[in-house]
Amino acid sequence: MSNLFDIFIRAVLIENLALAFFLGMCTFLAVSKQIKVTLGLGAAVIVVEGISVPLNNLIYNYLLRDGALAWAGYGHLDFSFLGLISYIAVIAAMVQILEMILNRFLPSLYNALGIFLPLLTVNCAILGASLFMVQRDYNFAESAVYGVSVGIGWAVAIVALAGLREKMRYSDVPKGLQGLGITFVTAGLMSLAFMGISGIEL
Amino acid sequence: MTKDSPQKALLVVFTVALLCSVLVSVASISLKPIQLRNQLVERSRNIVSLSGLVPVGKDLSDDEILAAVEQLDVRVVDIDSGEFTTTIDPSDFDARVAINDPALSVAIAPADDLARIGRRARFAVVYLVWQGDELKRIIVPIHGQAMWSTLYGYLALEADRATIAAVSFYEQTETAGLGDQIQRPDWQALWQGRKLFDSQGVVRFRVAAGAVVAGSAAARHQVDGLTGATITGDAVTRLIEYWFGANGYAVFLDTLQKQPPVKMINKESAQT
Amino acid sequence: MTVRETLLDPLISKNPVTLQVLGICSALAITNSLKTALIMSLSLTSVLAFSNVCISMIRNHLPNSVRIIVQMTIIATGVIVVDELLKAFAPDTAKTLSVFVGLIVTNCIVLGRAEAFAVQNNVARSFLDGIGNGLGYSLVLIIVASIRELFGAGTLLGVEILPLLQNGGWYAPIQLMLLPPSAFFIIGFMIWIIRSWKTEQVEQPDFERVEIEEAGENA
Repeated sequence: MSNLFDIFIRAVLIENLALAFFLGMCTFLAVSKQIKVTLGLGAAVIVVEGISVPLNNLIYNYLLRDGALAWAGYGHLDFSFLGLISYIAVIAAMVQILEMILNRFLPSLYNALGIFLPLLTVNCAILGASLFMVQRDYNFAESAVYGVSVGIGWAVAIVALAGLREKMRYSDVPKGLQGLGITFVTAGLMSLAFMGISGIEL
Repeated sequence: MTKDSPQKALLVVFTVALLCSVLVSVASISLKPIQLRNQLVERSRNIVSLSGLVPVGKDLSDDEILAAVEQLDVRVVDIDSGEFTTTIDPSDFDARVAINDPALSVAIAPADDLARIGRRARFAVVYLVWQGDELKRIIVPIHGQAMWSTLYGYLALEADRATIAAVSFYEQTETAGLGDQIQRPDWQALWQGRKLFDSQGVVRFRVAAGAVVAGSAAARHQVDGLTGATITGDAVTRLIEYWFGANGYAVFLDTLQKQPPVKMINKESAQT
Repeated sequence: MTVRETLLDPLISKNPVTLQVLGICSALAITNSLKTALIMSLSLTSVLAFSNVCISMIRNHLPNSVRIIVQMTIIATGVIVVDELLKAFAPDTAKTLSVFVGLIVTNCIVLGRAEAFAVQNNVARSFLDGIGNGLGYSLVLIIVASIRELFGAGTLLGVEILPLLQNGGWYAPIQLMLLPPSAFFIIGFMIWIIRSWKTEQVEQPDFERVEIEEAGENA
């Protein structure tokens, strides 16, 4: 149990995908101008991560890894090199389904997210979580917790950044730094701040 | 077939999938032998550097490492009983995987868990270094939780089972420039000649807070601390205390004393 | 566009990282050592060129309904091949790069250029575009990595340039340089410098600035 809680805390605060590993940056920097939109995007990420990471875990452990196909009598096969394409396919499918659900039940959010919803397919954070899950060899329960935690961490970071950008909207930023430049600097300061949290020992 | 017809889509998808699979499979299978060799060299590099069989600090070629590995006597130890066991094949056994298997690992009581690892595998792959028929060094794996990450390393003991010959930490992600100094060769060199135990067999090894006071009674059990890396240094002390205490290799070292090991050459060289 | 423009524009005036805001993830994460940055740059440029060429070859036969997924399959194939090659011939760096090579699949630059250029241009041009954008990306990575490694560890490609205090020299390394936030700051300042030089890249604010008259002591 404490291991799962540990995974949650690490994923949200210490190894935050956006602020410590810089995953999902493109969307992060392009979308974070208004809090409302980023809240919706963050929620979408949590859902996609929460489903795709455990699903990819099952695929990796029962189909792809060295000896995984033992249950079908093919224990000597190792398909782990097909991992990348499988995870992307799963993520693409998940995003497609999410799009259809949102379009049907939450059309206002669907319209607000616009192009960024299908762009979730190529969001490094989503694929990155699955790749980290494989690298760290999590079991199913750990993957489920990790997927949701990672989504929450990313959502927290992007909403916080959006809040800061909204506050800075009317500030007198030097011309060359306007827009992208100051966002990078802000993100860097946030990243620094989050590193301070990691000294906490639970 | 027009460009947007379903038949065209199916044809394109099928063709692309086929070509890509062939490309990927060819690449993966043809490169696999090289990759496996690299992994073996990587795993062996640390052990070989601690064995005393090769000059320390020299950059070794892959072939030199593989040649040195052949000379190591690889054994599997049952940590609780302290005996060598032949039921487990060392090349198949991965302690990190075994930790999750209830049959191959034990839980550690929180009061005893100095290294903060929760569970430990019941077996460990150890290496005996022989010079002729004389035992020179014993290399054991150690690991423990530090500030940010789990430290993984090996400790080489002299044949007296109490003096440290060398140490190496091959995996850690501690703070850059601070905790990661445990991988500095000049710090690791300080470990040579340190005594693990006192006369009663209690683990006395410490990473000191600051520099070791030369000439003090405790000096022979200590190495200098690392500036700005107290937490990591303490973690190293704790993991040494755990692994050479009653729950770690103490039983094994005791058994070695009572029943000195007999040199076992590995199967491949037995056939040459 | 001339050959020269295709190759050189992405270096500064249309740099994928600093202007198009693409491919940032890896530009930040693996740049604390020049060697990993170089290998990453090489990997990305190869995948970019490969995917641009393949997609351009089939551009006239690609149905809209499966366009994106076919592109992704080709890109993923390129990445898998590069990953296997790295694990075979540069295993140490492959370990350091860990998941980031796999993440080239989602690197916005690769899909971005495929959609924006390769589906509409011939094979030769697409190849050059791939190389050009790869070079632009590499330029940013190399600059950031050089600064971070030099000031964070005193070395470049492992060779000691600034003798460290702990090795008997005089340089006390700036530890922040080895940590993630420094990459954000360095790129932020790079953008500042580029946009001060090429002022056409400056982002205009999305509101109107109105001058207000001074109202005396009641202002």
